[in-house]
This record gives sequence, C-alpha cells and structure tokens, in this order.
Amino acid sequence: MTAIDEIHKHWDPVIGAYTARVLPGQYYVSAGGDECIGTVLGSCVAACVRDSRLNIGGLNHFMLPGDEGGGSGLSLNRFGAFAMENLINDILKLGGSKTRLEIKLFGGGKIMRGLSDIGQKNIDFVKSFLSLEGYHIAAEDLGGEFSRKILYFPATGKVKVKRLRSVHAATVAQQEASYESKMRNNVAGSIELFD
Amino acid sequence: MKIMVVDDSTAMRNMVIRTIRQAGFDTGDVVQAENGLVALDKIRKDMPDLILADWNMPEMTGIELLQAMNDEGLKTKFGFITTEATAVMREQATAGGARFLISKPFSVESFEKILGAVM
Repeated sequence: MTAIDEIHKHWDPVIGAYTARVLPGQYYVSAGGDECIGTVLGSCVAACVRDSRLNIGGLNHFMLPGDEGGGSGLSLNRFGAFAMENLINDILKLGGSKTRLEIKLFGGGKIMRGLSDIGQKNIDFVKSFLSLEGYHIAAEDLGGEFSRKILYFPATGKVKVKRLRSVHAATVAQQEASYESKMRNNVAGSIELFD
Repeated sequence: MKIMVVDDSTAMRNMVIRTIRQAGFDTGDVVQAENGLVALDKIRKDMPDLILADWNMPEMTGIELLQAMNDEGLKTKFGFITTEATAVMREQATAGGARFLISKPFSVESFEKILGAVM
C-alpha cells in the first residue's frame, strides 16, 4: 500500500522546483530530477533517505513507533516500523543499495506540554531501528520544544529545516491529532486464509 | 513447535517474533533468516513446522523460496507477511501452496486467528 498516489505536488516558484507535500502517515520517493519533498513535523519524525550514488530518495512522516505489534484497522505508514520499511523498499526497487543509503532524521519535538512525550518515543524508535538494521545516521535535528518545516532535495541530499514558533507548533499539534483521528478509520492490514 | 521467520529486516523479524509470542504461541524455538537463500539452506538441514516469510527480499524473495521448496519436495506450513498483496501475488501464493497471507500492519489478533487455524 503506497501513499505515493495521494501525494499533492505543486510548482514552488521560490524554490524553483516541483514540491511534493507529504502529510502525516504518508511517504514519497522521487525517482530523479530536481524535485523537492516537503513536510511539517511536530512530534512526528521524518526520515530522509537516498541512494547517494543514484541520487534518488524520499522521505516518510510517521506518527508512532508501532514496533510493538501493529494495530489492526490503522493506516500502515503512520507507524515508524512500516513507514521505514516501505520507504527503504521503494528506494531499493528503483535500484538503490542498502550499502549506499544516506539517512537524515528530523522532528520528534515535544510540542504538547503535559502529555506523554511521543516525540521522544519516535526518536528512540527510529534510532533503535537504524542501529538494529546497521544504518548510519548522516545528520539529524531531533527533539526540542518546537515543530519544524522540512524541505528535502533527494537529488543532492540537501535539507532545509525551519524551526517554527510556538504559535505554529500548536497548529501542527492539532493537525497531527486530526490526521491520527482520521487514520484510525482507514482499514489496513488484513488476513487471508487460503483453502 | 519450530517456527522460521524470514525477513531482510532485523527489526521486522523481532516484531513478528514478539507478536507470535503475544498471540500465545511458544516462540522458544524460532529460527531466523534474512532472505530466502539463507532460509532454504536452513530448511534443508532442519525442517520447521511453520515458515512466516516476507515477500520482497534480496537474494531470494519469499515466493522464490516457496517455489524452490516445492522443486525440492520440501513440504511444511508456509505463510506470507507482506506489505503488498496484489491479486497476482495471492494467485502465486496459493499456487505455490501457501496457507495464508497476512498484510501489514499485523496485529496480535490477526496472528491469533491465523496461527490458531493453521497450527
């Protein structure tokens, strides 16, 4: 189940490139060219992954670790464990190699005071996942009490990060909560017994 | 009960094993393999009671593993745990003799149903 078909792209005259907007629970892989991939992160984490020789890659935007056995009826890519697998698999399908993956991590902010620190759980998960899989983290901007806007250029690996003020952080937190609520109604993960 | 989990992701193998355990099945004797080729080598030496395999893996995919087992007359219970589950994949899986297909994200409940029915 790829989220690529649902991704909205637009021409950004400031950047001078088509930009794919990735929402929570989605991921996108650019097969080449000068495309930019953008997302806004609160407590969610995005992994920017590219093959450094082929100059192809993409990013995901996951909301929860999901490494404790997923929940039925929940959108696949909202969970880090599956979002990481899907993103990496799609890059490998385009000819990428596990030995050449350049991985950068962003997000995991603590933007809702008083609530459990989902951001830190996402950070702990993704670092543990990458360590277990034997991947090196090339760069990161994680944690802190703010949200972030990310613009990723897979062809070069360049990432632009803008830390957002608290007023924006509250909006991002509301959006993430809204997306999570919507995704609970999305049916994914089925079982099928053959005769 | 000897179970083999075949997946190129260490994290995913750990998740599958943990979920089997949470579903109430004994995972004391779980064998792991990172692709179909490694799995086939282990199967030839010691046949598991059940194989849970990912579909997309380097070296040898899950369906290629099942086909290789059939070619060599290696018979045991076999199921897929996969992200993609197209009609063509289902046809290949059933034609190869797979007993089930679990789509990700999987849950403890889905494992209870499937493993309860198969074992």
